[in-house]
Amino acid sequence: MKMPSLKSESFFFSSTLIFSFLFLSPIIALFIISANNSDGIWEHLLETVLFKYIYNTVFLMVGVIFLSLFISIIPAWLISNYDFKFAKFFDWILVLPIACPAYLVAYAYTDFLEYAGPIQKFVRFFFDYNSADEYFFPEIRSLWGAIFVMSFVLYPYIYVLARTAFRKAPLSLYETSRLYNKSTFFSVGLPLARPAIFAGLALVCMEVVSDFGTVEYFSLETLTLGIFNVWIGMNSITSAAQLSIITFIFVISLLLIEIKSRAASKFHDTSKRKTYISLRKLNSQKSILCILICLFPPFVGFIIPVLILISNSLYAFDYEPINVFIKPFLNSILVSFLSAAFVVLFSFLIVSYSNETKSKFVKTLAGISSTGYAFPGTMLAIGVVIFIGFLDNLINSIDKYIFIIPNNLYFGGTFFVLLFAYIVRFQAIGFGSLSSGFQKIPQNLFSASRCLGKTFLGTTIKVTFPLLFPFLIAGGLLVFVDVMKELPMTLLLRPFNFETLATQTYQYAHSELMAEASIPALMIVSSGLIPVFFMNKLLRDI
Amino acid sequence: MNFRKIFILIFLTYICNIPILFAKEINIYSHRQPFLINPFLEAFTKETGIKTNVVYATKGLAQRLKAEGKNSPADVILTVDIGRLYIYEDMDLLAEINSPILDQNIPAHLKSKRNTWFGLSKRSRIIATSKERVKENDILRVEDLAKPKWKGKICSRPGSHVYNRALMASVIAEYGLEKAEEWATGLVSNLARRPQGNDRAQVKGIYEGLCDIAIINNYYFGKLKYSEDPVQREWAKSMRLTFPNQEEGDRGAHINISGGGVAKHSKNKESAIKLLEFLSNSKSQKMYSEINFEYPVNVKVEPSEELVSWGNFREDKISIEKIAQLSIDAQKIIDRVGW
Repeated sequence: MKMPSLKSESFFFSSTLIFSFLFLSPIIALFIISANNSDGIWEHLLETVLFKYIYNTVFLMVGVIFLSLFISIIPAWLISNYDFKFAKFFDWILVLPIACPAYLVAYAYTDFLEYAGPIQKFVRFFFDYNSADEYFFPEIRSLWGAIFVMSFVLYPYIYVLARTAFRKAPLSLYETSRLYNKSTFFSVGLPLARPAIFAGLALVCMEVVSDFGTVEYFSLETLTLGIFNVWIGMNSITSAAQLSIITFIFVISLLLIEIKSRAASKFHDTSKRKTYISLRKLNSQKSILCILICLFPPFVGFIIPVLILISNSLYAFDYEPINVFIKPFLNSILVSFLSAAFVVLFSFLIVSYSNETKSKFVKTLAGISSTGYAFPGTMLAIGVVIFIGFLDNLINSIDKYIFIIPNNLYFGGTFFVLLFAYIVRFQAIGFGSLSSGFQKIPQNLFSASRCLGKTFLGTTIKVTFPLLFPFLIAGGLLVFVDVMKELPMTLLLRPFNFETLATQTYQYAHSELMAEASIPALMIVSSGLIPVFFMNKLLRDI
Repeated sequence: MNFRKIFILIFLTYICNIPILFAKEINIYSHRQPFLINPFLEAFTKETGIKTNVVYATKGLAQRLKAEGKNSPADVILTVDIGRLYIYEDMDLLAEINSPILDQNIPAHLKSKRNTWFGLSKRSRIIATSKERVKENDILRVEDLAKPKWKGKICSRPGSHVYNRALMASVIAEYGLEKAEEWATGLVSNLARRPQGNDRAQVKGIYEGLCDIAIINNYYFGKLKYSEDPVQREWAKSMRLTFPNQEEGDRGAHINISGGGVAKHSKNKESAIKLLEFLSNSKSQKMYSEINFEYPVNVKVEPSEELVSWGNFREDKISIEKIAQLSIDAQKIIDRVGW
């Protein structure tokens, strides 16, 4: 009986180790290229633009944190505590912005809000103004504009998790707070939902720091834009890598601070009683207020941009036949599906083993192997390219002696590289989803299973897998939606003649063919709707 | 069990490589958008029977090529500016080519001294001015953009964009670092708004009255003039096109090139060279100006009628390689003055 247990454990141990290393390698590659001489570029950066980059990045991040918290937590609280008309419907549409890439929303709003856009035209017409100097109108291409766009696109990451946490808080605590006449929101809901809120916030922060599309479109000098100025402008991939690692460390230390502070206040709800809060009915006036509050975020983050895209797309088929969009669509679905499946598979393996093991090394390795999300996509893609190049050279040198594969490129430039890159980047989502799932499972279940003589593998199959299943699917669906939207890595790593909806949108938009661009853009958004629907349903019932 | 896995893996990589194995094909890493090069590539395939495969990306292809090393499938590199061509050469990723046809078609100041990269089309950085608000001969030189007279009148995309960086480099080449920085400071203090948007957005700014003057690449004027969007055609109507620095004794208008080279480890060098030669022949050179309003590099080829109608201009004959070498200094000035 002992043997199989040992065998399966060592299998889990070695594969966790191997895959974690594999997913970490592109990041290691970036560290290696950063360990070079940067030829005095840092002195120049310190003297000139570095503090501007840092200031803008921090400003953007803090702004997005506050705004996205504000527009996600309030609706989450309302939906999980009160019963009002269309609440179920709002619960669904509140998540929809997650299907829109931030850069598309930025394009749409710029058209809409800039000087030549319909809103300002109306203002000028209505008040009889003739030029920009005569009235004040906020500039969309600004830090505030970026905070606005990113918050309204990214808030669902927080909303989904916060809502579930609010709903699943034990009723007894709410009742206690009422007895003491304290606000249920501030004294119970918020503290209990804190881990969930921070988990969502972590994803939001990583998205903000790694975003390139929006900041480039708005010409905002953030660290991400700075990385590209240094790389392309100064022809220094070394300094670019150094800059991106600094950004990376910055984000990771934020996360660590959060994890440390959370560790102090861990609690397990072992009573599996169905004593969650029941929804309170509202009168019609309050209902209307709730409806307005819940409508606002998806209205700004989804409905308006989609309407703008639809109105742009009306004439697209005059210029392009529909079959131009079919192949990229199929490609997008294929890569999104495969990456979602692999991310789920690998993160299940890694998370369940690192939960089991006592080895601090494995736990840490598993944690940092899922941080690819905190790098700008293009930089991570560079890391992937370097790692794959190294791997190919290695195979090539072995192959010289045994000659199985003709002298050629092995992985580089193939579909696998793209898939690998997606997994490296979005491992964070699978990892995060499953880790939060693990926290909800009482640890004594695992111990009980082991006491009853089940091996680790047996426990994993009989206990862990079924309990984590909803988290697996939810994580997978989120990865699917994210890969649909992914642009910079796809652009650099795809094989020859391979287009996805995102690269197609980009190419049209890059040549200002907005009508044509809006077709693949709408396809990205609508392919995300069904996964988002199911993901939301799953996470609600967890 | 494990052997089977390895076998499957090998088999799969095999399948992925099949298109590369049966080559009467060449593979292109392109910084130029597919829809702009596709007409050329179709004509090329028709003429030679050589098929083409393209990966298009704006950034990082040089790193990809470098990491792939001698395993790389890439044969031809195409870019839209000198900066990136030079980076390829600098990273030793381009093959030295011996082609009498290329030597004949492309003038010396538009190709590398080592015969690694070749200019294939020219674009001029021009000054766009409002027909209504700026008098015809008020701005004749790039230097004029720094005059205090134009405070709050100029629109520009960010200085760190490759086109502006190259312009900055051309000013450094003429005046040296110190005076060039003075010029850039003057220019920045004249900006009507924070640098943003692409070249089209600057013309739009003129049309809307946000600014009176902008710096753009010449072909944007053509694209706007013949845009499918009637509003964009209006933008073009609102602007006047000025080739700067044309007076006698002056250096001529700054130009940039789109160009290409052959990858150092290309396995189809012959076909790759054929493509570059094809792109420099008179038929293709004509197409550059017809499709994208760019000027031919081949001196024997006349620009299209449309381009001729915009007026003749004299170009800055400084070696384009020199511009690329000054790029880092240019970026430093741009960072310092906040363009």
